[in-house]
Amino acid sequence: MKVFILTALAFLLGIDNVSTKMFRRPLLIAPIVGIILGNLQAGLIIGATLEVMWMGIGDVGAYMAPDIITGTMISTSLAIMGNTSGNISTMVATAITLAVPTSILAQQLLVLIETINCSLNGWAKRLADNADVKGTFWLTWPPAFLYGFACAFPTFLALQFGAGAIQQAINDLPKFIINGLSTAGSIIPSVGIALLMMTMLKKGELWMFIILGFVLSSYLKLDILPITLIALVFAFLYERATREPSAKAQVSPKTQVDNSNSAEEDDEEDYDL
Amino acid sequence: MSEEKLTAPEHKLNNRDIWRMFMRLNTMRITLNYETLQGVGFMRAIAPALAKIYPDKKDLSEAMKRHLVFYNSHVNFDAVILGLSAAMEETTTPDEKDGINPLKTGLMGPLAGLGDSLIKFTWLPIVGSIGASIAFGGSIFGPILMFILYNVINMGARYYAVSFGYKKGIDFLNNNEQNDVIQRISTMANVVGLMVVGALISTVIKVKTPLKIVVHSNVSNKVGGNVISLQTMFDKIMPGLLSLLITVLVYYILKKTNGKHAAMLIIAMMVVVVGLTYFKIL
Repeated sequence: MKVFILTALAFLLGIDNVSTKMFRRPLLIAPIVGIILGNLQAGLIIGATLEVMWMGIGDVGAYMAPDIITGTMISTSLAIMGNTSGNISTMVATAITLAVPTSILAQQLLVLIETINCSLNGWAKRLADNADVKGTFWLTWPPAFLYGFACAFPTFLALQFGAGAIQQAINDLPKFIINGLSTAGSIIPSVGIALLMMTMLKKGELWMFIILGFVLSSYLKLDILPITLIALVFAFLYERATREPSAKAQVSPKTQVDNSNSAEEDDEEDYDL
Repeated sequence: MSEEKLTAPEHKLNNRDIWRMFMRLNTMRITLNYETLQGVGFMRAIAPALAKIYPDKKDLSEAMKRHLVFYNSHVNFDAVILGLSAAMEETTTPDEKDGINPLKTGLMGPLAGLGDSLIKFTWLPIVGSIGASIAFGGSIFGPILMFILYNVINMGARYYAVSFGYKKGIDFLNNNEQNDVIQRISTMANVVGLMVVGALISTVIKVKTPLKIVVHSNVSNKVGGNVISLQTMFDKIMPGLLSLLITVLVYYILKKTNGKHAAMLIIAMMVVVVGLTYFKIL
């Protein structure tokens, strides 16, 4: 029964992921799975871990990122269903291990749908030729169903046939592997953070803000919210200090991208503490 | 046309039309395909507005075909472009219609960049890390807070942007002084995001090594006299030093490979960490 509820949830989340985008993060999905499976605590911890792990990931342009929605659904459900002992750190280790391969496999389905979607162009063209505005309403329904299915089908298969295997594997694996995966869970978020840094470090000098945030948090033990407020002040000052003369204002925002070349030379001196 | 009294007389579209565009905007990404990316979605979203602007069927068909071209931007800023395109369709003469698509194409790149840096790489990490830090403590309040904070911007800004693009978009574009605003907001978002990222390094990544060093004491000549925990040493140098080093290392690996192999890197890290755990290094 729970499998069917989770499959239905996956169907809805699969559609939400490409439309309203209200629930498309692990931290928002995993607790719902946790509630359905009667283990909210595990859902929260797994969700928080996966949230940080996938933090910098996302579709950029036509590049399709791993399908973290399906990945989160499957890995969280299996981690909770497969661990009958109720040890949360084992569940987190299981979830992280499963999240990566499931996300990558599910991503292939999304690529397939985007290829199938090319047929929509012909349909839309015919509607446009006939000036059929009412007909355009239906354009999104077949692909929406496909997207929901692309999330629900792997989830159903994994939950129906995978839970027993996961339970077996956890019981049979040596203890150090589970412990190691559990440790990996607290290191892997560095990938998400590094991905964020890659897109944000447009100039070498921007390293100093990473160091500032790090020091505020590690030495002064401030929470994220006060650090964000302090960051706003620094952002304002930095923007004022580096603002280009208004004569250059008409240059397109693309100039920003060009600066990225200088990043490599400046990097070394700034992070080396 | 009886609803016209709801808005200022110079606008043909009323709030209900804007709402309909907003609803269709929400499902725009569904039709993404490798041929025109979001072209089908854009045409579908703007169609209700076009139907109102062009009573004549032939003009309407022309207009719909005009928007059925390659298009891709960021979802929250599609809204501005959508509103702006509707305004352009309404105000331009038949000869000027050719200018609509170049405007769309010219805007979609910079706005996609702004959308990514504001929403995806600044707002989402901030609310995500606030939510995650609460959720790690075992409170359901974390995801709820994240959901509210994220969607106030995600949905709220999207609706507001359609209306803004339609009513004020053209004035905004014509004013070069304000054009600079995109660049400035982007820079500020960048700095805020980076400081949050720096804070995340120390709060989220938790590495501790159980390694101990046995110090040979020359005075007593006794082996195993002093045992120093390596972790205590690291903490004295700098709290979270290992976290920072690992992140910088991962950053350079990702940069070398252009970030294409993030998933492979995660799998590799798992293998390495399990190995290190076996040898009791981590």
